[in-house]
Amino acid sequence: MRVPSALFAARGRAPQSEKDVPFQEILPLRLKNTVSGKADSGNDVACLQEMGVLFACLKDNEFVEKYCHKEISQFQNCYKCYMDRKFEAKKTVNQGIVQPGSNLNYKQLNKYMRRYPNPL
Amino acid sequence: MSFLSRIAEKTTKFSCLRLMSVYPTHYIDPIVQKEKQNEQKSELSKLYHIPIKAAVNKSSDTVFHDDTKEKMINYITKKGNSVLARTLLSKTLELIKRTQTEHMNLAKGDKNAINTNAETLLKQAVENCRPLLQVTAIKRGGVTYQVPVPITTRRSYFLAMKWLLEAAREKERKVSLPEKLAWEILDAAHGQGRVVKRKDDLHRQCESNRAYAHYRWS
Repeated sequence: MRVPSALFAARGRAPQSEKDVPFQEILPLRLKNTVSGKADSGNDVACLQEMGVLFACLKDNEFVEKYCHKEISQFQNCYKCYMDRKFEAKKTVNQGIVQPGSNLNYKQLNKYMRRYPNPL
Repeated sequence: MSFLSRIAEKTTKFSCLRLMSVYPTHYIDPIVQKEKQNEQKSELSKLYHIPIKAAVNKSSDTVFHDDTKEKMINYITKKGNSVLARTLLSKTLELIKRTQTEHMNLAKGDKNAINTNAETLLKQAVENCRPLLQVTAIKRGGVTYQVPVPITTRRSYFLAMKWLLEAAREKERKVSLPEKLAWEILDAAHGQGRVVKRKDDLHRQCESNRAYAHYRWS
């Protein structure tokens, strides 16, 4: 005899037996004690606006540089500032000084977490 | 030498960095030129307890010393034969001097307008050949884009000298390197010639690829 499917639906689906399908921990179910430094490497796109201004000037003057002194120096100063800032940032990261506060870089965070690891 | 390597070992243990140099990072470069020493006389007391690297063998304090020339010699050198490179460059400068003097003597009008100083001409040529930007290949979605990126001052000088030399080395066997190099330097110093054109071409390529400028990330 055919049983109407609505009857099954009313009872709901039976849960899986845990014996048949044992739980597997494929990845450890706790957070690691380290963070990766990928996000801190930052965006490398700098001085786009200055570059645009420089291109506009160069195109207007048929790529003769002596008419675009101002734009060129602005562009080069911008890039130099950017590189200096990057260098300083890298130096402070490498020093690895841990100071209290919320704005920590990945090295400082790793140091903290090594000191207070996740309980096993 | 052994004590230097020992110091190097010590510092590497602390900083966890392996250096290629025998000197640790806190050593500073020596100042060989008397003029530069006099410039920094007020800061001399700061250097009392800072270790200084030994001066390089070839560094000297003559009036003929010039950083651009030294760099050029380094780039001309092949297989470590810097003696030959030095003679080649001095021959080049001599040829420049000769041609410019000839021009001066043949000139009808103002004779002082012609620059006969070979060293300033070399510097002028290098300045005229310096690029502002560069293109690097960046792969995005299976397509390689030529993306314009800014370059440092150091690299722009390097590229200028490299291009000058490449243009000079592209010659027939009968022509000597000093002849061709002198020719290229004179051309570039007057803002014309192949090397300046190469720089302009690079700028043009950067300009036409400016839409990709935001693609760079590394």
